[in-house]
Amino acid sequence: MTYSKSRYLVRRLQLDPSLIIVILLLSIVVISGFVLSDRFGTMRNFMNVLEQSSGLGFASIGQAMVVIVGGIDLSIGAVVTASTIFMAAVVDLHPGLMIPMIFGTLLFGAMIGFCNGYIAMKTGVHPLIVTLGTASILNGSVLIYTLQPTGGVPYWFEEFAYGRIWNVPISGLVMLSCFALIWLFLRYFQTGRAFYAVGGSPEAARLSGIQSNRVILLAYSASGFFAALAGVYFVSRTGVGDPRIGDPITLASITPVILGGLILGGGKGNILGVLLGVILISLLSNLLNYMNISTFVQWVIQGVIIIIAVSVYVHKGKKL
Amino acid sequence: MIKQFFRTLLLGAVIGVAPAMAIADGYDGLPRTFLWNPNFNRVIDTSSYAGDGPFTIGFSNASQGDGWLGTFYHSVQYGVSENLDRIGRFIVTDANGDPTKQISDIQDLLEQGIDLLLVNPATADALDPILGRTMRRGVPVVTVARRVESDSSFVSFVTASDTALARMSATWMAETLNGKGRIVLLPGLAGASPAEMRLQAAKEVFAQFPGIEIIDTQYTGWSPANGRQIMAAIIQREGASNIDGVWADSGLQGSGSVEAFIGAGVMGADIPPHTGGDLNGMYQLAHENGFPFAGIDYTPSIGAAAVHLSVDVLEGTPVPQRLDVNFQVVISPGHETRSISADVLLPDYVAMDRPGELIMGSGIPNYDPASFSVELPN
Repeated sequence: MTYSKSRYLVRRLQLDPSLIIVILLLSIVVISGFVLSDRFGTMRNFMNVLEQSSGLGFASIGQAMVVIVGGIDLSIGAVVTASTIFMAAVVDLHPGLMIPMIFGTLLFGAMIGFCNGYIAMKTGVHPLIVTLGTASILNGSVLIYTLQPTGGVPYWFEEFAYGRIWNVPISGLVMLSCFALIWLFLRYFQTGRAFYAVGGSPEAARLSGIQSNRVILLAYSASGFFAALAGVYFVSRTGVGDPRIGDPITLASITPVILGGLILGGGKGNILGVLLGVILISLLSNLLNYMNISTFVQWVIQGVIIIIAVSVYVHKGKKL
Repeated sequence: MIKQFFRTLLLGAVIGVAPAMAIADGYDGLPRTFLWNPNFNRVIDTSSYAGDGPFTIGFSNASQGDGWLGTFYHSVQYGVSENLDRIGRFIVTDANGDPTKQISDIQDLLEQGIDLLLVNPATADALDPILGRTMRRGVPVVTVARRVESDSSFVSFVTASDTALARMSATWMAETLNGKGRIVLLPGLAGASPAEMRLQAAKEVFAQFPGIEIIDTQYTGWSPANGRQIMAAIIQREGASNIDGVWADSGLQGSGSVEAFIGAGVMGADIPPHTGGDLNGMYQLAHENGFPFAGIDYTPSIGAAAVHLSVDVLEGTPVPQRLDVNFQVVISPGHETRSISADVLLPDYVAMDRPGELIMGSGIPNYDPASFSVELPN
């Protein structure tokens, strides 16, 4: 790396304290892991963590896109659940439809996301309420259809969740690719940059000729799409559709967004911070498992880290 | 060949019940679920897993989300403390009811070089792929409380039968009402396989009594508070005198139902017949008030039994594919029915001097959840 390039990087990092905080926290976790366990610092374990973080990663990308335009999506967990049921139930009856159903499920998620955005936009109701309502409708419908895990997928489809290419998990590669594509989109495409403009000030964006409504619809559709992708991943990982699998995902998808320094009011933040947030949460959980620490203590530690990170952002003048 | 087959079955019978006999509280005969099971129980050759020890066992727990699960975990710890000479390291993870976290937990345990995976699956189906992979990796799996779909995904499954528990308590209810009456069903947590299996088994029984009318079925999440709130609403709607019986799959919510009747001014023996074991508080309410009652514990001692069986696997001892642990049928005096007799009468079983929160059937001597502590390997 040349001097000018590293100076550029440092300058970038100085401009974005959230990235420094999350990198610092990541370093603490990794160093602690090396010190506390001789099995933590193996490539095999890091690849496992990458694989395990994929579901949360997909869901967090969608949540981040909605947060950047100034919204929030509380239906992500419900879309994940509905997607797993939809996919596993159909494929169980028609195993030949496995490949088309992957795309069908992603389309299904994107359509639900589109409906969320459309209702919020047309009615003026806060997206928090709209997506909460959608979540309730989806969860209720799923539980009317089945109370227990149902359906199934062909054995080979497990490879998406568990398979490796040159020892790198396929699901992890897909997740990293998604983050890279969205980062490029938000940074170098006009529509992508419009996400920040709409999130920062919808009125100013409108006056500058940006079609805010289209951007908002695109953000919510993307959120539904990535929630469905998380659903596809969970079907691959569990082999069934599960009516409760998405329950913890909604709040979990917000945590990396906050840790990654995205501002809940919208308009600012780096999607790569969200990726680091996802990896931080997954590595932390992994390390605490290695230390044989109870889940309840894990919650406490996770909560403390969120508060520390957010406090630092606020201290830097970036209110969340 | 035939002789060998029957010898295998006999061996399965003996080793399949021996640990259960050691752990049972009162009734110490062969587990009814074993005696009445119309299927055969395979014996698994575990010689390929045999090692010298001390062993590293990983325990992937589904949750400690209610009183029963807390006691079950204590039972697992108790089982480990009884095998300190054989277990060198015991690593625990808790998935908080999330099957996807549990899959990650299991991967983390495997990376720590465990010799055997003991698992209480969060759901019956979702863990199948990862447990299959664990077995193919050469690490034996013992499931406890819930099994997974494929036989090839585990060596042995340790249980007290949900279906037997529900069929017996439902039969007792139907016969107590002489086959006629309006009843309420209070199952546990919607979607949880034990709750669904028990509910389905109970409905099978009630369907054989055309005079039994199920006026409402409400999931309670095995919570006393939910049980009370839900039953109070049903009493408000139907009137207490129009409810002839309450079938609960556990005393956790059953106790809440009894308290709702008391809150509505229905006292003593006027409280309609109730079912539901596990919680000492439920037994205390039944004993104090004298209403017809049948309680069957889904005994948390399956935890210790599963640890003992895990050690057997690692020592290469043949184990049954399914290990049934005994349960007790507890009935209030004078309320036995044609089909259902008491193993223990209520006054002989209830612990009036112990806390109401106590979960029965732990198999741990002088068990007190608040002060429970045992020596563990690490």
